[in-house]
Amino acid sequence: MNKVELEGIYTAYEGGARPVIRGLSLTVRAGEYVIVGGPNGAGKTTLLESINGLAKVTHGSVRVCGIDARKAGHEVRKRVGYVLQSFYFDPFTPFTVEQVVMMGRYGRMGFFRRPQKPDHEVVDRAIGLLGLEDLRKRPIGTLSGGQQQKAMIAQNIAKEPDIMLLDEPFSNLDFSTREFVTRVLEGLAAKGMPILMVSHAFDDLPDRKIRIAIMNDGKITYDDTCDSCEVEAIVRKTSRMN
Amino acid sequence: MLEFLIPNNIVCHAVEAMLFASISCGILGVVIARMNISSIGFTMSHSAFAGAAAGIFLGLNPLLTGILFSVLVATLLGPVSDRTRMSVDTTLGVMFAMSMAVAIFFISYMQYLGRGFSASGLLFGDVMSLYREEIYALAVLSIVTVAFIALFYKEILALMFNVKLAEASGIRTKVVFYGILFIIAVSVALNIDIVGGLLIYVWLVTPAAIAYQFCYSMRNMFIVAPAIAAVISAFGVWAGFEYTLPVGPLIAVLFTVAFALAVILSPKRRITSNKS
Ligand SMILES: Nc1ncnc2c1ncn2[C@@H]1O[C@H](COP(=O)(O)OP(=O)(O)OP(=O)(O)O)[C@@H](O)[C@H]1O
Ligand SMILES: [Mg+2]
Repeated sequence: MNKVELEGIYTAYEGGARPVIRGLSLTVRAGEYVIVGGPNGAGKTTLLESINGLAKVTHGSVRVCGIDARKAGHEVRKRVGYVLQSFYFDPFTPFTVEQVVMMGRYGRMGFFRRPQKPDHEVVDRAIGLLGLEDLRKRPIGTLSGGQQQKAMIAQNIAKEPDIMLLDEPFSNLDFSTREFVTRVLEGLAAKGMPILMVSHAFDDLPDRKIRIAIMNDGKITYDDTCDSCEVEAIVRKTSRMN
Repeated sequence: MLEFLIPNNIVCHAVEAMLFASISCGILGVVIARMNISSIGFTMSHSAFAGAAAGIFLGLNPLLTGILFSVLVATLLGPVSDRTRMSVDTTLGVMFAMSMAVAIFFISYMQYLGRGFSASGLLFGDVMSLYREEIYALAVLSIVTVAFIALFYKEILALMFNVKLAEASGIRTKVVFYGILFIIAVSVALNIDIVGGLLIYVWLVTPAAIAYQFCYSMRNMFIVAPAIAAVISAFGVWAGFEYTLPVGPLIAVLFTVAFALAVILSPKRRITSNKS
């Protein structure tokens, strides 16, 4: 089943001279592990945000889990995990790691529902998975950059989404955490959750078929599936400015 | 309601009003502080003022036009800040100036026509002269406010944490955000009729600021801020009567003293420096 169907989409930012994404089509099926590559400014982040409806798609159709993301963006976002490329929480933010991880589930819970026992269990598991037990009561802003990134990944795992979008989730992570998160994502993909990950790190890809989608200047210029050991060479060859 | 505790009717009404208004303002203050929209107090009180001035000019009930005008401004607040892509505080500033202009226009024009009046006396209430109906109105308003915060608690939390992440989680952030702005705005506009401007400004900002010195979590802030607001306000009414001092200013001073103490005593300034 197709989880993501983009057809000839154009995505523009306010005040931009021209659309950032121009006539892009992409189909992602259940269980696919997609690495999105391409030079800075190619539109990778914009692509992810076109999928979950955060960016303004002006033309074309976006269907995610069968839902029209241009019409019901929040319905899509309830089902799609999204680890942002950059974030900053000031040290005085009065929210603990535990609360922030739980917030991943707030949208899908819907109005008027409080977190119940199953919600807490899922959150506990996600926190355990990322090794954040000792930090769970700490204000999020007092964590290091890498610890915050782990918290954001935990938040999206706790969300139990149908699709996972990750924007350079490894940028602040140490070697062993990258390996571990990769294994977790691989496990999710094996259960059918498509993973779309923007990444420039190729030393820790799961040992399985990887689909590579390379973006250049708002379009996908290369899209093929290969073994994980071939990824780096392909990305080098196909990213124009790299 | 509290007659069994406080025999003096005026004091009793004042304390009741204080408790209702201070508790709801204290809770809203936590949201206001976190969202950096503390000028919502001045803006909304002056929209009510502008509406009242227009009402008098048009020969309508100034209380009603005051409330109508504030509701109009409250409704515009969210969509306008969205549309302009500027902070809500900037929109509040624009609305404040506009409200002042409307008020001054009508007042000046009526003075020119020889119909001078004191709109501020009409509009800005006084805790020392309250009717029973006004207390009931305050009670209802407080309950509605608290119920709103309770019903949308998790959405409000997420919004106070980070708007983009709240949006990404699938929350309908606009609905919730407009709702919060609306409820704060209406609450201020109605409260101002009854208890007056000074106390509203104090309640909306200072209890949350005091609570922030001691609390590490939002939940504690939501409990501590209204508790502080209620205790200091009730004490202020009592002290004002006991020593025949003006109650509003006295309470404002008490809050400021409490804030100063809180800053000095705050455990948040502590640094653990033992080397073990
Ligand atoms: N909010 C915005 N307003 C206007 N233009 C934007 C905005 N965000 C991004 N852009 C532009 O859109 C283009 C694509 O940006 P995008 O963030 O999608 O790139 P990217 O591929 O994720 O780059 P990077 O590798 O640096 O993260 C860039 O040219 C950028 O300048
Ligand atoms: Mg990017």
